[in-house]
Amino acid sequence: MELLLQTIINGILAAGIYALVASGLALAVGVVGIVNFAHGEFTMIGAFIAYLLFVSTGLDPFLSLGLAALVLFMVGAITYLGLIRPVLAAPELNQMLLTFGLSVALQNIALLVFGADTRVVSTSYQGATLALGGLSFGVPPLLAFALSVVILGALYGFLDRTRLGLAVRAVAQNRLAPGLLGIETQRVYLLAFGLSAALAGVAGVMLSVMLYASPTVGFAYTLKAFAIIVMAGLGNLRGVVPAAITLAMAEALVSTYVPGGGGWVEAVFFLVIFVTLTWRSWRAA
Amino acid sequence: MRLSVSNLTTGYGKAQVLFGLTLEVATGELVALLGANGAGKTTALRTISGLLRPWGGQVWLDETSLQGLSAAQRARRGLGHVPEGRQLFPLMSVEENLRLGAAFLAWPYRQEGLERIYTLFPRLAERRKQVAGTLSGGEQQMLAIGRALMGRPRILMVDEPSLGLSPKLAEEVLSTLAQVKAEGVGVLLVEQNVALSLEVADRGYVVEHGKVVLSGSARELLSNPGVQKAYLAL
Repeated sequence: MELLLQTIINGILAAGIYALVASGLALAVGVVGIVNFAHGEFTMIGAFIAYLLFVSTGLDPFLSLGLAALVLFMVGAITYLGLIRPVLAAPELNQMLLTFGLSVALQNIALLVFGADTRVVSTSYQGATLALGGLSFGVPPLLAFALSVVILGALYGFLDRTRLGLAVRAVAQNRLAPGLLGIETQRVYLLAFGLSAALAGVAGVMLSVMLYASPTVGFAYTLKAFAIIVMAGLGNLRGVVPAAITLAMAEALVSTYVPGGGGWVEAVFFLVIFVTLTWRSWRAA
Repeated sequence: MRLSVSNLTTGYGKAQVLFGLTLEVATGELVALLGANGAGKTTALRTISGLLRPWGGQVWLDETSLQGLSAAQRARRGLGHVPEGRQLFPLMSVEENLRLGAAFLAWPYRQEGLERIYTLFPRLAERRKQVAGTLSGGEQQMLAIGRALMGRPRILMVDEPSLGLSPKLAEEVLSTLAQVKAEGVGVLLVEQNVALSLEVADRGYVVEHGKVVLSGSARELLSNPGVQKAYLAL
């Protein structure tokens, strides 16, 4: 019983970062309409920003979150203006090749600059745990989870309660009408893509403590984020959080209860995509 | 305010659709744009509102040329467009759809607009929390018109508002447009239903192959033998 409870808690704690990365991807796919395979590379950049700040100034990663978010927003905005906007009207295959190429390019640039080593930000509380009953909570995952909840709350508050957020959701539902209503869709796209990158980057900062920074750290998150937004229904921003919890929980259960589970964890996202799409097509048929 | 369109030409790819369209609409009048399918009526509205780039010609609001302005900039200058197919935000509530129509206005106008639209369309007030995608066709059309009116346009272009509606509902929607006109807005109405639109219109233009071939008061057009033969099946 305690093992099950611990597993469920691990799953929930892991879901925070998943939800951050996936909400970002949902903005790129749902609002801007671009399948961004380089999304995880924004996470990677976030992780390296946290690492560099920690090494050079000793700044705690959880304190560099804001700065990393700002930098990644700019990176996202520049990526949008320079690469994404020119291909918005292009065939989808061209768009995907572009973002896939961007992913490969960013990974290799990171490889050239930092090498292939994994780099961990070693904070004083890295291994610290809180014990409650028979359960234990790692301090970094707990912090990361709490911050994810705050950030996601702010994101959804923005989308639900503000005029600009309303415009962002509107563009996701109809691309023609907002322009006729005096809303500059190009600016909404820019904002959404910047936010998308910032969310990925913030998750990267958390990963630098909980996992590590490395040139390829983001790739798995791209795939998992795709699994989550497919499960939520493409373009459905609201469904991202429950879908993220489902994926994280499934991974936690597999890693605890399946013999040799650690190795299978990385296949769970694929199974999720497979089952979701198959189930949908059965239901639609 | 006056919308003036002169010698507008445009097309899709290499296929030219408009061949020098010229027309005018002033505030306080309801002008019908008539013509067969494929004559270029919808293309004309799309070009005027900035969704489609013109190849040549000019669009003016009073003395201001709209050349090079985005659709959003044109909307902010007082040019409203209820596009073909309504183009609502299907997963949003009636009220959210309406609010988006006034997103660029200052707060008092946004609030006042809601009350104005709910008075004009009491049906929308009853369904303010309902999701737009679940409205009936007539209600969706009212919402599309109401949403455009939220931006306080001086000139409103409406594309096929009666499409898919019962004759009774079509009449209801068109009489609302007459009411909008009475409030001082200039309305440019594209309609398949020529008889019905000339009933509410002050003037009309007949478009064939991308240019105006006939214009006059609604009464003149109704009694024109060519119009009767081609559009009224008399």
